[in-house]
Amino acid sequence: MSPAPNRLLRAAVAAPVFDFWSRQFGSIQAWDRCLARVVARREEARGAVTLTLQPNRRFAGFTPGQHLNLTAEVEGVRLTRSYSFTRPPCADGRLRLTIKRVENGRLSNALCELRPGAVVELGQAYGEMSLPQGPGRYLFLAAGSGITPLMALSLALEQNPQAEATLVYWAQRRDELCFAEELRELAARQPRLRLHFALTREPLRLAGEFGRRLDAALLDEVAPDLSALQVFACGPRGFVEDARRLTQERALRFHGEAFTPPEAVAGGAPVRVQLLRSGQTLEVPSGAPLLAALEAQGLHPDSGCRMGLCNTCACRLVEGVGQNLNSGETLAEPGSELRICISAARSDLTLDL
Amino acid sequence: MSQATLNRPLSHAEMDAFGAELDALRTRTMAQVGAEDARYIRRIVAAVRYTEAAGRALLFFGAFPPAWVLGTLLLGLSKILENMELGHNVMHGQYDWMRDPHLNGKTYEWDIVGTSDNWRHTHNYKHHTYTNVRGMDDDIGYGLLRLFPEQRWRPFYLFQPLIAVIFALLFQWGVAIQRLELGKVFSGRKTKAELREEFRPVGRKMGRQLLKDYVLFPLLAGPFFLPVLLGNLVANGMRNLWTYAVIFCGHFTADAETFPKSVVQNESRGHWYLRQLRGSSNLSGGKLLHIMTGNLSHQIEHHLYPDMPARRYAQVAPEVRAICQRYGQNYNTGSIWSQFGQVIWRILRHALPSRPGKPAPLVEPMAEAA
Ligand SMILES: Cc1cc2nc3c(=O)[nH]c(=O)nc-3n(C[C@H](O)[C@H](O)[C@H](O)COP(=O)(O)OP(=O)(O)OC[C@H]3O[C@@H](n4cnc5c(N)ncnc54)[C@H](O)[C@@H]3O)c2cc1C
Repeated sequence: MSPAPNRLLRAAVAAPVFDFWSRQFGSIQAWDRCLARVVARREEARGAVTLTLQPNRRFAGFTPGQHLNLTAEVEGVRLTRSYSFTRPPCADGRLRLTIKRVENGRLSNALCELRPGAVVELGQAYGEMSLPQGPGRYLFLAAGSGITPLMALSLALEQNPQAEATLVYWAQRRDELCFAEELRELAARQPRLRLHFALTREPLRLAGEFGRRLDAALLDEVAPDLSALQVFACGPRGFVEDARRLTQERALRFHGEAFTPPEAVAGGAPVRVQLLRSGQTLEVPSGAPLLAALEAQGLHPDSGCRMGLCNTCACRLVEGVGQNLNSGETLAEPGSELRICISAARSDLTLDL
Repeated sequence: MSQATLNRPLSHAEMDAFGAELDALRTRTMAQVGAEDARYIRRIVAAVRYTEAAGRALLFFGAFPPAWVLGTLLLGLSKILENMELGHNVMHGQYDWMRDPHLNGKTYEWDIVGTSDNWRHTHNYKHHTYTNVRGMDDDIGYGLLRLFPEQRWRPFYLFQPLIAVIFALLFQWGVAIQRLELGKVFSGRKTKAELREEFRPVGRKMGRQLLKDYVLFPLLAGPFFLPVLLGNLVANGMRNLWTYAVIFCGHFTADAETFPKSVVQNESRGHWYLRQLRGSSNLSGGKLLHIMTGNLSHQIEHHLYPDMPARRYAQVAPEVRAICQRYGQNYNTGSIWSQFGQVIWRILRHALPSRPGKPAPLVEPMAEAA
């Protein structure tokens, strides 16, 4: 749109009105949000689905190894979770995400049921894992859905002739392995990628497959030269912590990304509260009303009734676990509004404040 | 009937039990809030958008009188729905749990000349926290009208029957300047510079609204500039009159009470609930009335639970009423004709000097002394 009509449009129409009519006419264009349409869906493995998404022009691109926040509506409520790009950027601008079903998972299972035509909302790409041009030797440790960004990085090896990597990919059963065929083909044609599968609950093992969790012996076998390697580990929190414990001291560099959410801590223990707008990070006791705790440290967030009804102090929970002290309910959905006068932190928190 | 005979003062123990019952009702109801409420508010959004589009489209043919009338009515309807069932309720954070950025309590911007930010302060915070507390809730007469005998009489109030009508017609402008507290400028408690600073966002919003309704859309109609402009003017007027009537019925009926500042000191939750109840009044009627008033026909339930999705008020009302009965409290409700009649009576009666009647205490005098 050329600037002059655009400005006129902005004076006449409000963002919600524009977005409403855009959706009514079946478009994914939006005033300032990034929407994407599901254009293809494919069963990737048992309990995992790959969605191909066509984003609108608000999407600013990504590099392999990054993630984004995806938001979709489930039963009238918007849920936001992180997912990783499973493929380097493609010429068609489309994005591929692979979603693994999680037992009782609210968003993952709903996403796995999406059909072409469905619309979701995307945040911008983020994440520090990348494969810079130039020489580099890597150890990729993936467990479960942790394969996704490491799949994209493995594919990116093809564009980076001086990088080489060893990928160890854990799943419980063989039929849960995503991209198994594609990875085998890639490793066969690309000597700079060495590939190992590890299956923890498969009765029969094939040649070259490991049958146990990550441990020091397994590490020695796949990466005898650990001190020369950069280690990227992705998967459930426990797995990433194991990988950190085993490699952080010995490897050239360790970078872990835990895919499972943090857990709530007991009352009284100190937690860190990061305030995005004011750029501060403070320590407060968990379980204490946040407004009072922040005021005690000299901050003056907006507030009103101080009893949880006027909504003046509400601010967006970006990450972490909060608790409403009036009802006792815990609140862990990213994007929830937290009334800080009657809410406490129950884990490290990031607030849009 | 005097207020003292309608309502029984409660002991501190009764007050706590009263509060606990209302809290329990709240918890029970909020646990049910979900997909159905989301679907409902989305349907309201769609109704607002489609009636607006249809109204504006018809107004383009406004040279043809039936199209003008229908277009104006539809646009007025859209503005009323947007103002009440959508804007007012969303700004209370009633739908924050959906996490939809377009239905967020802190960022929603409504289609009137007043800024949502100022409304969130004067209404969500001041009016809802200090409901009907004299000197703290600026909604008592909006600084223009004397509606309760406890307000000091001045000769200026003799004109209030006329002022009330003008205020009703221009209600959105009253809402827009409420936070500027012009009275303070006249009495010297606020400098002109402070006022200028506070007016900036208000002026911007006013400009935007005027541009939209009285320049852009009329211009789009080309030769039918004037019918479109008039249609917009009348639609805004309809919305002003209706919101004024509904809001006044909510707190200024015959049995609604006001309170001295001292009530809010160390106020317990039960006491706060009781004060909300005593200061509010409902409108009885059907589903259409409830939707068109943004469910402020359930003003009592709204004041007890301002952040509960308003469509749930009809569901909790019978239980609230039963609780009131158990605790000897009047549940102030009536038809819109009867309630608005009482409001008009107040406007007329208290234009003239009047004296407060016997106060109706919230707390048992014995308990107060203890
Ligand atoms: C940076 C990052 C990248 C991610 N990339 C991907 C990806 O590419 N593909 C993908 O499928 N997932 C990925 N995840 C995980 C994803 O964000 C969600 O956590 C997952 O889809 C579960 O969401 P849910 O709403 O279904 O489960 P919830 O309803 O949030 O949780 C239900 C239960 O499952 C547990 N749980 C939550 N997440 C997991 C998990 N990953 N594994 C096992 N148990 C879990 C919870 O503790 C809870 O008990 C990533 C996470 C992060 C932080």
